[in-house]
Amino acid sequence: MNDQQLIKLLNKLAESYFLLAPQKLDDNLLPGYEYGIREVKNLEEIDWSGAMPYGSWKEVLLPYHERLFDIQKGRLVETKTKYPPIACLAMNILDLKALTLFEQVFANDLYYQKRRRPMLIVGYSTGLPSDYKKYKVFSHNYEENVLEHVIFDIFVSRQKNGRLKFYSGSEKGQLTLDQAGLTDYNNIEFAGPVAESGPDKTLLSIMAKMEKSANKKIWDELDKRCLACGKCVIACPTCFCFDLEDRDNSAEQSRSRRWGVCFYNDFSLVADGRKELDTVKKKIFFWYYHKLVRIPKQYSLPGCVGCGRCIKACPVGININETIKAL
Amino acid sequence: MFNIYQTQSAKIISVDFESVDTKLLRLKFLDRTRQREFDFLPGQFVQIGLPGWGECPISLASSSTQAKNYFELAIRGVGKLTNRLLELEKGDLVEVRGPYGNGFDVDLFKDKPLLLIGGGCGFVPLRPLINDYLAGQMSNTVLQIFYGCQNEENLLFKKEYHLWNRRAELNVILEKPSSKWAGQKGLITDLLKNWKITADSVAVIVGPPVMYRFVISELKKKKVQEENIYLSLERRMYCGLGVCQHCAIGPYYVCQDGPVFRWADIKGIGGVI
Repeated sequence: MNDQQLIKLLNKLAESYFLLAPQKLDDNLLPGYEYGIREVKNLEEIDWSGAMPYGSWKEVLLPYHERLFDIQKGRLVETKTKYPPIACLAMNILDLKALTLFEQVFANDLYYQKRRRPMLIVGYSTGLPSDYKKYKVFSHNYEENVLEHVIFDIFVSRQKNGRLKFYSGSEKGQLTLDQAGLTDYNNIEFAGPVAESGPDKTLLSIMAKMEKSANKKIWDELDKRCLACGKCVIACPTCFCFDLEDRDNSAEQSRSRRWGVCFYNDFSLVADGRKELDTVKKKIFFWYYHKLVRIPKQYSLPGCVGCGRCIKACPVGININETIKAL
Repeated sequence: MFNIYQTQSAKIISVDFESVDTKLLRLKFLDRTRQREFDFLPGQFVQIGLPGWGECPISLASSSTQAKNYFELAIRGVGKLTNRLLELEKGDLVEVRGPYGNGFDVDLFKDKPLLLIGGGCGFVPLRPLINDYLAGQMSNTVLQIFYGCQNEENLLFKKEYHLWNRRAELNVILEKPSSKWAGQKGLITDLLKNWKITADSVAVIVGPPVMYRFVISELKKKKVQEENIYLSLERRMYCGLGVCQHCAIGPYYVCQDGPVFRWADIKGIGGVI
């Protein structure tokens, strides 16, 4: 067994990083909610089963509320934030795909880039996420070259024989592995987020169906079912809409960014009181259209990585896979 | 790394009452180089804000030929921030970033009769086009301006109509004018109905969404091609850079791919107007 090597690596990381990893929170939680991403106090706590943590890494990459500017004498002064070195451990392939999308979306965003720079991404795969079969509508190619198209510094893969295989995906990853004394690893050269053969065919076919779906019955059905609560937005690792918000009171003078929720009434409200998204049907269509059309068109990547978190989060059981089948 | 959300201070160098609820602010960046390098196309907008009050997108209202010296924004008090902006005086500072959006590609209007059709306060983005035309920047054969408004009090840029009329045809119609009004009374579509419009015209429409539907249908009756109908859309915006998603319509972002769209390109998007 070379799990010893993993322990060596983790011990090395613990010297200079805050460690975050999926952990089993409580056996008594509802199915799907048992795992979450938390700070690692003890290496034993890290969950290596491949189970999908309920909360996503989005909370680490794009905090719910982030101060961009301080207001000083009526001027906006960039907030000086100390971004800690965080090692994101055991990020599964689907979450690495979400991260890879974020890297494109926030490529020109100073705050995202400053937060990411001191981070180290350690991907992990047990082959497939343990509950993968439930979410198999999206095609995910788990052949070797998937790693060429996702962002990571170090990737750890458990082989069929139970042994661990290590990869580096960046110079930083290589250096870290070397410093931890691991020598038996392969280097994966990042070949861009999109495969050489072009965007995924399933992605393109879903996009084409979504584009032509405005008059489909499914939107009337979802209009009746969806509560517009926005839980899917919070749970989704790729939902990145945001608002900018000013506060100027005795407690805080700042301009901040906070997560936006396209299901909420003020999302599309303009000054004279008009709202583009004035029905649940329009809101839910907007959410799907962003995932299945707008993101693929803009970034050639799926806006849905197939993690199934929105399915678990939805209080009325709306299932993205069933919606896609109905398109 | 450049901070895309960083604003720059601009000083109010004059304030003019334009209408009962609208003021025209003339602004100049404090940083002289920034002002000298400032450039925009008619139809583009900036994010103007006050720290603590937020930001909002406002169309540039002045001629792009003056961009190196100053820029103007017409502010109508409709919310917390815009009402606060109306309280400001000459010498006060505001925070600005931009310009954003695509603006009007005037090359596409070249050598064709140009119709500018504005409704209410939506008229603002048309003023830079008019000013650029008057400054000899555009090569349209004819410029016809149609302006529909509620009443005399709401009319914008009144002081300039005599200048516009020298080289363009300005037609104003009011929905509920006072008894003193000697001009036409009715809706903008009434104005268009009775006007001779040639099928090769390019039309630019800016106004409230309800106006778009009726104006487009009137233009189509006059055989104006959908490819030659342009409109400017208003949406909620935060980033101005095609990220935050608030202004998304179908596959487009109003802040980046718009706010100016060709009707032929967006007519299939549900609820767009």
